[in-house]
Amino acid sequence: MEPEYSATVVDHFEQPRNGGHFEAGEGVIRGTAGSVAQGTMFVLSARVADERIEAVRFEAYGCPHCIAAGSWLSERLVGLNREQLRTWRWRDADQALRFPLEKRGRLLILEDAVRALSEAWARLIP
Amino acid sequence: MTPSKTIYLDYAATTPVDPRVAELMIECLRPDGAHGNPSSGHTFGTRARAMIEKARQQVAAAIGARPECIIWTSGATESDNLAILGVARFHADRGRHVVTARTEHKAVLDAFKQLEKEGFEVTWLKPGPDGIVRSEQVREALRPDTQLVSLMHVNNETGVIQDVAAIGAICRERGVAFHVDAAQSAGKLPINVEAMNIDLLSLTAHKAYGPKGIGVLYVRRRPPLGLRPLSYGGGQETGLRSGTLPTHQIVGMGLAFEIGEREREADVARISVLRERLLKGLLAIGGVELNGHPTERVAGVLNVCFHNIEGESLRFGLRELAVSSGSACASGSDEASYVLRALGRSDQLAQSSIRFSLGRFTTEDDVDRAIAIVSREVGRLRALVPNGT
Repeated sequence: MEPEYSATVVDHFEQPRNGGHFEAGEGVIRGTAGSVAQGTMFVLSARVADERIEAVRFEAYGCPHCIAAGSWLSERLVGLNREQLRTWRWRDADQALRFPLEKRGRLLILEDAVRALSEAWARLIP
Repeated sequence: MTPSKTIYLDYAATTPVDPRVAELMIECLRPDGAHGNPSSGHTFGTRARAMIEKARQQVAAAIGARPECIIWTSGATESDNLAILGVARFHADRGRHVVTARTEHKAVLDAFKQLEKEGFEVTWLKPGPDGIVRSEQVREALRPDTQLVSLMHVNNETGVIQDVAAIGAICRERGVAFHVDAAQSAGKLPINVEAMNIDLLSLTAHKAYGPKGIGVLYVRRRPPLGLRPLSYGGGQETGLRSGTLPTHQIVGMGLAFEIGEREREADVARISVLRERLLKGLLAIGGVELNGHPTERVAGVLNVCFHNIEGESLRFGLRELAVSSGSACASGSDEASYVLRALGRSDQLAQSSIRFSLGRFTTEDDVDRAIAIVSREVGRLRALVPNGT
């Protein structure tokens, strides 16, 4: 049987926000984690300006929860500064989307993608 | 998603009961119907018995058998178990080697695993990437102590047809009992147990527009095969399957098989056209591949894998369609289909495979709507997949 999906998961799965990616360019950062072979992969790209995240795009390969998580996160990251992005943790997404216990490991992959995004921002020449 | 809005394309899991069958069954259940115990000697009992014997003839006629070879069971799972365990245990003192394939239904696989626990040696044949077990593989697997070969006529997940007649000929030549699970082929392909040298054949009603909970095991009577029952009691069905016979279900199976055989050619021709329409529509999406042999397959089953898309999301996206991934009989499992894995598909492709199965009540509109839904969802989900994966 398929797992239960919360209304938030269904909403984001059916109407994902900010799908896609920003082409590499000035002020664009990118964070990737996971792989198709693992069954879960996230690619986050963001445009930063004035020490804030201005816009986010996400791409995801994974279950409905993962697609919903990518979409949900793409809205939450907008407006964050470097420190807020660096300290983002998976539990926020879990609280909002109610991941089944057996799928929580996939949120750690999402957290890794956020960390990779944060590290890319750190490498960005101010 | 309400059932009325869902397009039913899961006929290989089960079929609706044909209204003609349902009507006859209901007649049996009414106070003035054939509700008596068919073992009773009074009028109610003899009336029920007469209807059961008619149904026995109907099923026998559909498979080219004599009516006395038909044993009523609760369905194909019980028939498979009775055939496999029954023959192997009866002849255990003559040999303890049995043969089957890795792509069989769970009811067969688990019966063979039980035999392994009882000290039998099982040869598990591996089909080719097209899903077909070659008859030469069977010949090579046979040994002097082989008692039984069990292979399905049509695979429940891929719809691929095995050449059971060729395998039956080999088994007959070597004096080995040959069991065929025909749950997926009845009403879809011609079956003749005599011509195909089949000693035991499992059938179920609910995949052929009959009711759930009733099936048949055909058992060759001449020369007698030797079969140990699974349960003991009132001695019905010549002692092979004790228990009061469910008249209404048996009558339903009888009529379903009679209709199935009478209308088989017309049904198959119509469903083949719909299946080709569906296949064409799905292939046009791109990154879609057929699982199993391209031509040696029954009309109604289409199993395809979708590249570059995750299985659970695909299934959830397609919830307007009643379709299956793997076998509905092994529900509750998130694992990739063992049948598709045995055909060499990767875990990822096996998980993103969908079985579409069409039947008597499928319409062209159902197919066209299904293609549109799949195309929309696959396109939408692939647009979110990272590039270069």
